Amino acid sequence: MKLLLFAFAALLLPASAFAQSTAITNARIVTVSGATIERGTVVIRDGLIEAVGAGVNVPADARVIDAAGHTVYPGFFDAVTSLGLQTRPATPQGGPGGGQAAQQQAAAHSTRRYPLALRPADAAADELRAGKAQFEHARNAGFTTAVSVGRTGIFNGRSAVINLAGEDVAGMIVKSPAAIHVSYATLGMQYPGSLMGTISAIRQMLYDAKRLQEMQKMYAANPRGMRRPDADASLEALIPVLDRQMPIIFNANREIEIIRAIDLAKEFNLRLIIAGGQESWKVADRLKAIDAAVLFSLNFPKRTTAASPDADPESLEMLRFRAEVPKAAGRLAQAGVRFAFQSGGMTNLADFSANAAMAVQNGLSADAAVRAMTLSPAEIFGIADRTGSVETGKIANLTVVKGDALAKDKVITHVFVDGKLFEPKAPPARPAGNPGTGTGPAAAVAGSYNVTIDVPGQPLTGSMNFSVQGQSMTGNLTTQLGAAPIRNGRLTGNRFSFDATVAYGGANIDIQVSGTVTGNRIEGSIDSPQGAVPFSGTRVP
Amino acid sequence: MLLGLAALAILPFSAAAQQAGGDVLIKNATVMTASRGTLENTDILIRGGKIARIGKNLPAGTARVIDATGKFVTPGIIDAHSHTMMDAVNEGTLSVTSMTRIRDVLDPKDVAIYRGLAGGVTAALLLHGSANAIGGQSSTVKFKYGRPVEEFVVEGAPTGIKFAMGENPKRANFTIPGQPPRYPRTRMGVLEVMRDAFVRARDYKRSWDDFRAGKTRVPPRRDMELEPIVEILEGKRLVHAHGYRSDEQLNLLRLAEEFGFRVGTLQHGLEAFKFAPEIAKHGAGVSIFIDSWSYKLEGYDATPYNAYMLWKAGVNVSINSDSNERMRRLNLDAAKAMKYGGVPEQDALKMITLNPAIQLGIGNRTGSIDQNKDADIVIWSEHPFSPYAHPEITMIEGVVYFDRKADIERRGLLAKEREELEKLDINKAPGSGGAAPRIPTERVRGDIGHIEDSDIDDHD
Repeated sequence: MKLLLFAFAALLLPASAFAQSTAITNARIVTVSGATIERGTVVIRDGLIEAVGAGVNVPADARVIDAAGHTVYPGFFDAVTSLGLQTRPATPQGGPGGGQAAQQQAAAHSTRRYPLALRPADAAADELRAGKAQFEHARNAGFTTAVSVGRTGIFNGRSAVINLAGEDVAGMIVKSPAAIHVSYATLGMQYPGSLMGTISAIRQMLYDAKRLQEMQKMYAANPRGMRRPDADASLEALIPVLDRQMPIIFNANREIEIIRAIDLAKEFNLRLIIAGGQESWKVADRLKAIDAAVLFSLNFPKRTTAASPDADPESLEMLRFRAEVPKAAGRLAQAGVRFAFQSGGMTNLADFSANAAMAVQNGLSADAAVRAMTLSPAEIFGIADRTGSVETGKIANLTVVKGDALAKDKVITHVFVDGKLFEPKAPPARPAGNPGTGTGPAAAVAGSYNVTIDVPGQPLTGSMNFSVQGQSMTGNLTTQLGAAPIRNGRLTGNRFSFDATVAYGGANIDIQVSGTVTGNRIEGSIDSPQGAVPFSGTRVP
Repeated sequence: MLLGLAALAILPFSAAAQQAGGDVLIKNATVMTASRGTLENTDILIRGGKIARIGKNLPAGTARVIDATGKFVTPGIIDAHSHTMMDAVNEGTLSVTSMTRIRDVLDPKDVAIYRGLAGGVTAALLLHGSANAIGGQSSTVKFKYGRPVEEFVVEGAPTGIKFAMGENPKRANFTIPGQPPRYPRTRMGVLEVMRDAFVRARDYKRSWDDFRAGKTRVPPRRDMELEPIVEILEGKRLVHAHGYRSDEQLNLLRLAEEFGFRVGTLQHGLEAFKFAPEIAKHGAGVSIFIDSWSYKLEGYDATPYNAYMLWKAGVNVSINSDSNERMRRLNLDAAKAMKYGGVPEQDALKMITLNPAIQLGIGNRTGSIDQNKDADIVIWSEHPFSPYAHPEITMIEGVVYFDRKADIERRGLLAKEREELEKLDINKAPGSGGAAPRIPTERVRGDIGHIEDSDIDDHD
């Protein structure tokens, strides 16, 4: 009874009463909003930055991370992604002639009357999935925050700014809806089936939304003698855009595409943001004139194929385009155009900092580059009061780096998302030295093991490979189901634990593994949603 | 060095000349005015982009002098049917797409513009394709290559819209893979779609008139499809109607008369000679190919004497290209009007200059070499109706946009620039691996021969 009472009391107490704080000490702190602190402390409590400075005391309850030789940055912010979203079909199915009829039918059963590609109300927040694994590669690259939005259709829908801890959807959202995103797509076989149809369709919808707003006002003032305005969700979503409360983001890289977006924004007095914007420097004056920002894609154009002797030479236009892109960010900065960096769908996030560094080599200041991946996107999305810099009271989104954020040989050692610590996987163990070189229990666990997993009725054989750094561990788990990298590898004495995701029966299954190493013998259990199974094995000499 | 080269290359070739701007004196040319005959040994003084004076031995003053001794000068050629510099040609999904605007999809970097300038073209009517009965809103542009897109659009030019009749809009002879069959499928259906649009537009206009008169409380919905059609009914928007057969083109004139407006131009009009008096009476222009025929069933009754017969009947005739390639040889197409029937030289020249200017509603400011008109001028190496003639200088509003000599000089610079650019890492091809390279095929955009823009090409 006593025990039960205690548990009950614990539920009533604020979480903070038990929360431990974290102090990152002896770090170089790039606050971005203010001067860089050459040696200082950041205290994190309850997901927020409690204190920052050179003379900050470490709280008694703090878990201390000695970050000597490391730099603390605001968490990196990717200004356009589709993180956490599942892909959805661009156009309805239905075969020749079936699509249009199907759409009309669907429209009658929905508050979204426009075709599937013309639905600005679709919200990324409604489609986000939780699950830590899907954000891991972004966090490993130092990202704590991202704008997420679908990529299909003309209106891609309404984006959400999310923090990348990924535990639950409601908790990860920083701002939603953040903006309405637009692509110059077409519907192909139905209207709009061409670029000019697409622009016309957007224009008509904006007029329709304007009218709906007027009708709503009229109806609110006096509903008598007037048919009530229809509750069309697609148009209602556009009203904040017409009111300049919400920005509209056009995916546009080419100069003329950007000009078209600017023209449309001017026609309706919209708050324009350009996403992509690799030729935006060519129209910097126009962007500046309407205070439009650019979410500049660091996914630089690459020549992907070797020249064939039979092929025409590449166009001069393309050669020039590639040569100019690394200079673009510097030119935007010089022209005073607000901009932030985005990954632009790049396959390898290592390109993000590499290409930011390339922009720095081509005229952008290093400070501006760091700002473009931290505070600038926060400003552009109107959340700079809560994130984007290392300041007291802001969200504890922090990226701790050994080396410079833009340097090729940097190591991201700690990533804090909402104050929660993630320790990215260290780079692969250097070939020099052998796994047993270390001292103490760590050395006892490092190595390769052949294991048998006792799945009832279907024993699996495989291997585990561990590299150990201090109390953390990296490596992989390989079975006939495939190879999976291990995550959150932890070590205490000869006990270890890690997480992994394996493909099984057509689905990805998150597993938790724990075990011990005694001499050359390994044993433990693997926990999954389907239950726990034991495993055992021996070290590979 | 590389930066310098790249910066230079981004500017249009004639940037130096453009920037020089200012007054120009073209000295001692044979001037084919297209309005008042040919003037020998004549000077043209250009001031502020306009033709300030035409005469002999004009004082240069501060003007830059271009010696045109032995050269011919004509007004800039105007192509009254073009799909150049358009990033889309057809919105072929519906039978009425009057809500679409060519202005929205102009690409000022299309190299075909520059090639057009090299053929002496200074202005064009950019038309939606002929996939539907009522197509999109057209754009009247001058070829100010290198300038921002908005400067291409001729300010104050009347707005226009594409109509189309016959095989392309009715689509009886083909289907677009994946696209549902679309009403109409017959010539009478095409006409009905047009009539229906006019009736709807009339009702739409009435709903606004009622609202403005205070008869209704709630403002009508702004309908982007019907607004341009109301403008047609109000005589504010020119209809440029694609068609071949005389019967259906005559039907269109009657439909227009029924709704009280005048058709701007009959486009193609390969059978226009069959009802030339009716066209003259209605007051429509006709814009034709000079000598293309039999490329489709509707083209079987065509004759190169079409231009002559229309001219004889007092119809305003222009000769168009409908093609990025043929656009560059419109001077020779005009010459053919002299050969087939014997149109007088000036009237033949008018068919590619003043007549299309009038059809586009810009005849008061361009199309001929007359005082106070825009200095849209071509200096030819010899008589423009000679197959050996080529433009040496093409200018628009006194600014040089094509200069053959400068172009030739610049080729070396471009080759050098390419060489430098190809050395950059970012432009280097991966050494090995990757997908097999695809051999680029020439991109077809608007340039669809002169098989008049049926919409198949826009969807491939």
